[in-house]
Amino acid sequence: MEVKDIVDIDTIKTNMNVKSKEEAIQKLAEVLLANEYITDVEAFLKDIYAREAVGQTGIGNYIAIPHGNSDAVQKVGVAIGITEQEIPWETLDGKGVKGIILFVVPKQNDGSKQHLKLLSLFARKLGNDEVVEKMLMAKNAEDVKAALI
Amino acid sequence: MKIVGVAACTVGIAHTYIAQEKLETAGKKRGHEIQIETQGTIGVENELTQKQIDEADIVILAVDVKIAGRERFEGKRIIQVSTEIAVKSPNKLIEKAEQVVNAQK
Repeated sequence: MEVKDIVDIDTIKTNMNVKSKEEAIQKLAEVLLANEYITDVEAFLKDIYAREAVGQTGIGNYIAIPHGNSDAVQKVGVAIGITEQEIPWETLDGKGVKGIILFVVPKQNDGSKQHLKLLSLFARKLGNDEVVEKMLMAKNAEDVKAALI
Repeated sequence: MKIVGVAACTVGIAHTYIAQEKLETAGKKRGHEIQIETQGTIGVENELTQKQIDEADIVILAVDVKIAGRERFEGKRIIQVSTEIAVKSPNKLIEKAEQVVNAQK
């Protein structure tokens, strides 16, 4: 298994027309529900905001990495949203956000070690400025995936 | 110079690995030998050997939580920061490490 196996074209949304963090997270949660990664949007959102309250998830370079660690998750994965415009977010460099990478992880994750390993390799990619730049320029889901693998 | 370190964040899923990547890239870019161990949800990876630790000029701990095996670094020069700092300013952190090591000489 490779990083590309954790990046699902169906959970990547580009040209998102959203104005706020809440709107972006809500839309991505709905995409995750439709693709059977999560069982309940409301419970999932509650856990995301619990993590948001702990510390900034905007890591700079227009990227945010909200964490969906939740009992509402039934499949490890990642949802990616690229927005049309910069949206306000609490970030390390004070800039807004254009790329949202929502990590989708079950609270009980004993059985998903292999997928979590892929997720960690995926996270490392976000530490690479070139990868991030390419991803933010992507106009469709295929381009996003191509930037990441 | 030789740098070793550990990255570990609260949830152990994202920041840990982003910090690792950023620190290793920044260190290599400035010509250093660098290895960052990660302690995350999936356990310890990229584990440091005692030999690597003994030979290191400096230790960088980018950690938000208590880490396992901290005693391995006893007696070493340590810079400890949060994972956020490592993610935000990896280059500055490496420069700081250089300063600390050079001041020692």
